[in-house]
Amino acid sequence: MLPPQSPALQVPFSFLLLPGLWASRNRARRRQRGDLMRGVMFGGVGLLVGAALFQGAYWLTSQLESYEDLGDYLLRLGLSWLFLSFLSFLAFSGVVTALSTFFLSEDLRVLLTAPLPVRRLFHARFVRTVAQASWMVVIFLAPVLMGIGRARCAGVGFYVSAVMTTVPFAVIPVAAGTLVTLALVNTFPARRARDILMLMGLLFAASLVILLRFIRPEQLMKVESLPDLTDFFATLQSPVTPVLPSFWAGEALFASLRGGADWLHLAALWSTALAAIVVVRMANERWYFTGYSRAQEAPKARFTQLRHVEAFTRRLPLSPVRRQLLIKDLKIFLRDVGQWSQLLLLMALVLVYLYNFRVLDLDRVPYMTAVVKNLYAFVNLGMAGFVMATVAVRFVFPAVSSEGAAFWIIRTSPLSLRDFLWSKFWAGLVPVLALTEMLTVVGNHFLGVDPFVKVVAAFAIVFMSFALVGLAIGLGARYPRFDTDPTQVAGSYGGVAFMIQAVLLVMVMIALVGWPASIYLFQRVRHLPLTTAQYLLMAGCFVSVAAVSVATWLLSMRSGVRALQQMGE
Amino acid sequence: MSIAIHDLVKTYGRFTAVNGVSLDVRPGEIHGFLGPNGAGKTTTLRMIAGLLKPSSGRIEVNGHDTGTEPEAAKASLGFIPDRPYIYEKLTAGEFLRFHGGLFGVNGHGGHSDNPIGARVSEMLDLFELGRWENELVESFSHGMKQRLVMSAAFLHRPRAVVVDEPMVGLDPRGARLIKDVFRKMSERGVAILMSTHTLEVAEEMCDRISIILKGRIIATGTVDEVKAMTGGSDVELTSVFLKLTGGSGLQEIDEIV
Repeated sequence: MLPPQSPALQVPFSFLLLPGLWASRNRARRRQRGDLMRGVMFGGVGLLVGAALFQGAYWLTSQLESYEDLGDYLLRLGLSWLFLSFLSFLAFSGVVTALSTFFLSEDLRVLLTAPLPVRRLFHARFVRTVAQASWMVVIFLAPVLMGIGRARCAGVGFYVSAVMTTVPFAVIPVAAGTLVTLALVNTFPARRARDILMLMGLLFAASLVILLRFIRPEQLMKVESLPDLTDFFATLQSPVTPVLPSFWAGEALFASLRGGADWLHLAALWSTALAAIVVVRMANERWYFTGYSRAQEAPKARFTQLRHVEAFTRRLPLSPVRRQLLIKDLKIFLRDVGQWSQLLLLMALVLVYLYNFRVLDLDRVPYMTAVVKNLYAFVNLGMAGFVMATVAVRFVFPAVSSEGAAFWIIRTSPLSLRDFLWSKFWAGLVPVLALTEMLTVVGNHFLGVDPFVKVVAAFAIVFMSFALVGLAIGLGARYPRFDTDPTQVAGSYGGVAFMIQAVLLVMVMIALVGWPASIYLFQRVRHLPLTTAQYLLMAGCFVSVAAVSVATWLLSMRSGVRALQQMGE
Repeated sequence: MSIAIHDLVKTYGRFTAVNGVSLDVRPGEIHGFLGPNGAGKTTTLRMIAGLLKPSSGRIEVNGHDTGTEPEAAKASLGFIPDRPYIYEKLTAGEFLRFHGGLFGVNGHGGHSDNPIGARVSEMLDLFELGRWENELVESFSHGMKQRLVMSAAFLHRPRAVVVDEPMVGLDPRGARLIKDVFRKMSERGVAILMSTHTLEVAEEMCDRISIILKGRIIATGTVDEVKAMTGGSDVELTSVFLKLTGGSGLQEIDEIV
């Protein structure tokens, strides 16, 4: 008699998607502190972005309509370009997501020990990979396509066609990405592959940002460069080749926008998507287990000893305990690609930021050049404040959380929690202060602002740094997330609360610094001396800046220390 | 006393996890802390180590009250948790140097005659991790991490050590090593308070044991004294433990199977 078939062999692949769905349902049901605020904030921002995309697409399409054939041509080109840019994103996202869903996910230990056919597991994992890799593109694409459809008064057919186009369009690059991951994991250990990918992705993003900036798109807006536009559009067409799915998607959508149907390109999309699934499935059946097995191996990790970190800290005037804390924090940070690689993107943005000031041609403004320049100095100060808040929420706020499950080591040591938190503060303050001070000083130098404004801005940054870093450390200690990856902590309740308070603080500081400085500047432009009352007003404002900063800094730190001390209660 | 606990209570809302526990561990004594799951062992140990604040009661470590002199108490105590969470991105040597730094073992704080490097090598060799000194912790097995945590706990020459489930995840060789180290440490006067589910370990190693049930100590004494409490007919500590903590459940198992 044959043994009865295992029940696991009979379950459909959709059954394997249930744990993920149940987990999402449970997360949605569980109410946590700050859920409402987070929902309102993120939901509000999302709606705003969606509305802006819809409006932008609607406006642009309406404008293009008045150019008849050229407008149609540009819209068709635009659609292909839109899908082309998503194509590379989806392929890269597919590689990264597949690495996690197919090889690193914890639940694979359960699934792989169950009597499941490899094919069924592949189907379940692939659906999850496509969903995780493409949801962002879909959310972005939806308002854009709706805006285009609305502008062209498209019928239901266009929206059906949009869905029919987007699904296979997402599947093809994600399948390609999954295939790349399979090859990568069979070549390198999965954990090393993730580091390489993360670094590649960030270098890609950073170079894209720099490239876009150095093309100087503002040149397009100058009247004298208009003749070049024809050349510009000529270059646009070349990368949109008819063999890419982005071209098929663009063509299919453009046809439906005009009330027709492009069955050829739709068929090309669907047949390629299905063929891609079959190819990846076959490759998966052949190489998946070997790859997964390699991903479990823990070879001797390659890493740098970072001896220069110890040599560097020896030169700093620190107590032995604080020196050890700093060495530990620096080494952990520098050995985690996920942590330090985000600095590359930050550096790219800083370069672009400074470059903007370098190319800003304020001398073209015929009169009031000096006033405009000094006004820009405060814009620069505000921007530096926001950069500071962003850097602080990403790198300083998680300082306590980054101790993770190993925080027991600190708590059972004779180091007081006060010393611990202050050590974190100084370690966060120095790089934040150096970065933002550099941004402000160099930015103001490029602008050529008044020396008085330069000094005021430089001092304002010092005070803001103490206040914001103190606020970040204090709130980070009050709302730690020891179970979360440090790169994700910024999105927690505490992170959002910090951002709101930081933005308010920066605004207050700009007002307190900007007001007296503007009085000084206007008096100078009019060649009038400052009155005693004006001097007193200026002094009052500057003292207020110092008072608000010091109060924010010290009170935040005190509440952070208290929160840490109450942790064991 | 190296560790002295007086009327220790820990409540979470209406639930009392530890209810009036009093306990003494003398210098050089290995004291076993036994009890079923959820009896309050880990909560008690975490309060001694300074990870939890008692709701009431007093804890003294080497004469220092953990409530009023937490830093002094911690400086003379070593703690080994049940799960060895450590910084994955540090090497074993770096982790020990960091740990030493926290406890003042770096040429300062009374250890000037013992440079940290030599002490780190000594501890890694003792726990058979010497050749792994320059490897990242993330590549270690559970047992290796457990031994690394133990070498950190003994690094600063504590006079009392609190250990939560020391044998979990250790292979027989590792378990033997730990038993030998604990014995040698106790011979040198170190007091060890150790929670364990492995009753053979308690019987083999402990000078005295305490059994905790539902947050209260229900028996304290040498293994023979505790055996005598149940009438003295049981030869094995397991039977005594099951009698004291409420039956074996074997009958129910039979019914289910």
